[in-house]
Amino acid sequence: MAILPILKFPDPLLKERSVRVESVTPEISALIDDLLDTMRSSPGGVGISAPQVGILKRIVAIDVSASKRGGQQENHGLLVLINPDILARGGKQIVREGCMSIPDYTANIQRAQWVLVDALDRSGKQVILEAVGLEAVAIQHEADHLDGVLFLDRVTSVKTDVFRRKKYR
Amino acid sequence: MGHFSVSVVGKDRPGIVAEVSRILFEQGCNIEDSTCTILSGQFAMILVVFHAKFTTIGELSPAFDEVRSKMRLIVTVHDLKDDEVVHEKAFAGHPHIISVYGADRPGIVYTVTKELARRKVNITDLNTQVAGAKDRPVYVMVLEVDIPEEVDMKELEGEFGRIRKELSVSITVRPIETLDL
Repeated sequence: MAILPILKFPDPLLKERSVRVESVTPEISALIDDLLDTMRSSPGGVGISAPQVGILKRIVAIDVSASKRGGQQENHGLLVLINPDILARGGKQIVREGCMSIPDYTANIQRAQWVLVDALDRSGKQVILEAVGLEAVAIQHEADHLDGVLFLDRVTSVKTDVFRRKKYR
Repeated sequence: MGHFSVSVVGKDRPGIVAEVSRILFEQGCNIEDSTCTILSGQFAMILVVFHAKFTTIGELSPAFDEVRSKMRLIVTVHDLKDDEVVHEKAFAGHPHIISVYGADRPGIVYTVTKELARRKVNITDLNTQVAGAKDRPVYVMVLEVDIPEEVDMKELEGEFGRIRKELSVSITVRPIETLDL
């Protein structure tokens, strides 16, 4: 159990594609524990991906119930997703996103309102789940990290959609 | 060495940014921050630039005489003290978006912003426009504000309730929440 340092943009590892996890070994389990500790150590942090701590494996963790607004919406609580694939998307929503790897900026990003996800859970069992609202945003944001895509890559206007963070709690 | 703000206003046409940035480049200025917009056909740009040697307006401003006469641009240069140049905006309060809309009439901006100023609410962004059909114009104002801890939100909401009636406008205050991922 450890809080790992978060890579910050422009670290080149954040632009890499992560590789699939073949099986959930004790090392992978330990990495997941560290990811959860690291996510929870960040105020308001509701998501993390393995590449953000420099490990290019397709693992993300999400817990939107940790945020005030996310907790009021339909959600699965803590989700650990290994090799997540977004099978289908529906609807549109714009949410202001922040990222531990881009601490100075936030941005309004358009994402799908609903996603259908295929992944392995932390015991290695296949799960297929639906997510909506902020949980769907979090899954799309973290899944992007596994392909080396940051939220700034999804911005359509620097002037109207990107904000210098006025205060980092 | 010093920082300057440069503001440029003129009838919009292609080439304004290129000409202004050419002059800045030739003078040896570094553009540190900039924004621009077009308001009713007027191009407006403001830049904060840094020069390694210049310290006074007189060293930089005459370089723009060429575009002042040729492109009929109004170019204003100010020198900035080092402590005026803030790269990280650090506001103390809570960020909110206030949206206001209603039939166009005089005094909407003033009536709303007067109440904000009285409570030391800082406006960090403001956009206004007239939308809708020509014969039924709708005035739209969107403010991004920083509301200090001490502000009594119930009391502010009450004040907005009064303004809603007085001006027949819709006013909505929403906190800006960031999903931290």
